[in-house]
Amino acid sequence: MNHAEIEEQQIVDRYVRGTLPAEEVARFEEHFLSCPDCLDRLDLAESMSRGFKRAAGQDAVRVAVVRQLAVVAWLARLGRSRQAAVLVMALLVAVLLPWGLAERRLADRDRELATTRSTLEHERSAAGSRGTAEAERLRTELEASRRDLAHEREQLAQSRKPQGNVPILFLNAERGGGGEPTVRLHLPSTPGWIVLALEIEPPHRPSYRVTLRDAGGKEVWSGGGLHPDERDSLSLTLPSSLLAPGDYTLAAEGAGRFAFRVLPAG
Amino acid sequence: METFLGGSPVRPVPAVRPTWDLPVLMGTDTEPEPDEATVATDLVRRIAAGDAAAEGALVQRYSRGILYLLRRQGVSPELAEDLHQETFRIVLERLRRKALDDPAGLIGFLRGTARNLAIAEHRKTARRRTDADPDGLEQAVHPAPGQLQTVLLDEEANIVRRLIGELPTDRDQQLLMRFYVAEEEKETICSDLGLDSLHFNRVLFRARQRFKELLEQFQARQGPAPRISRDAPESRA
Repeated sequence: MNHAEIEEQQIVDRYVRGTLPAEEVARFEEHFLSCPDCLDRLDLAESMSRGFKRAAGQDAVRVAVVRQLAVVAWLARLGRSRQAAVLVMALLVAVLLPWGLAERRLADRDRELATTRSTLEHERSAAGSRGTAEAERLRTELEASRRDLAHEREQLAQSRKPQGNVPILFLNAERGGGGEPTVRLHLPSTPGWIVLALEIEPPHRPSYRVTLRDAGGKEVWSGGGLHPDERDSLSLTLPSSLLAPGDYTLAAEGAGRFAFRVLPAG
Repeated sequence: METFLGGSPVRPVPAVRPTWDLPVLMGTDTEPEPDEATVATDLVRRIAAGDAAAEGALVQRYSRGILYLLRRQGVSPELAEDLHQETFRIVLERLRRKALDDPAGLIGFLRGTARNLAIAEHRKTARRRTDADPDGLEQAVHPAPGQLQTVLLDEEANIVRRLIGELPTDRDQQLLMRFYVAEEEKETICSDLGLDSLHFNRVLFRARQRFKELLEQFQARQGPAPRISRDAPESRA
């Protein structure tokens, strides 16, 4: 560290203020330990810093005192009646100022309260109109559900009644495969039952599982536990609502595939 | 100041008395002096060889700096003188036993020893402060400056007022007040006042020079007088 660097970078003043980085502090301290010039500069910098701060402090105090004295002198120059008037004015200010401030705060609070009330009213009315629309929607849904339920009940009652003219399809297992189904069925004009009788060849299994698929291969129904009767047949009753016009295949595991075509009600 | 007798049975450590010179402005490095590393190496070598004059030279060379450093560490003036003695005792005893591996590092060794002693002293004081003494606290008196110190401090303030009054422009006054009172950085002041670094340095240099002249005049009127201790309350502001 040399004196040109110390001068240019205000190292001495920054050291005295304590704003020099630690590495520079170490370098400068190792320099000034054997440098009387820098030690003199340090003493001078400290002395100047002290002097400036003390002068500024004293001047600030002096200005404050002068202002206070000026007020006292002005009061002293006034007559007794004016001094009394000033005193009354000062007392009034001392009382009225806090009162005025409190009034202002109260007015602010009142305004805030009115705003809050208005906002609440607005929100309440908006919530009311939203509630009416929602109730209407729920009422409509409820009506639709009731209609569906009545329809289902009607169908259930219909199904419990004895039913004549039940279509019965006797199906034989496909041989070879391919070709159009030869067994055809017209859907009844009113929903009812359809009986499928599958002729199977012995030997029989204790029970069979069957799967009904439409022409696209989509499973329509599947069930198990079918037992062959004494005529070597498996019987299956389906609600006509399960079927739509089109070709169907019924696969019975271990007994072959049975195809049939459903035609619209004729 | 009490002269310390070192632990060595052969020689005592030379007595150390700080000198109180007037502050002067920084020199201009015109006189060719041997490099610090060369001086340190020579001193270390001679002290290790038993040269008592070299010990005196070492103390003479670094005494004032070590004392300043200790006071800068916040050590009280009385304690600083004790630690100053202790620093040289430790360093000289070490150098008598064995020269430093890097003799050019003498100054770092001195600085480190002084700082460590100051830090140890602060720790010791802090430990003592953990014992609560309400009675002692009630009786404690704020270390206000004495009458003489107050006169000196006031004179420094008066010199500053005179200096400010003599400045040719308001801008220079602002510069000094912001630098010394508000402790703003040079870059900020230059930027706000539209000054370049050279002008800033010139104003500061002239102010220091004038302050020094006025202080010397005051001290010449007063005769030799002790300086203001770094522990005066204003110096801690």
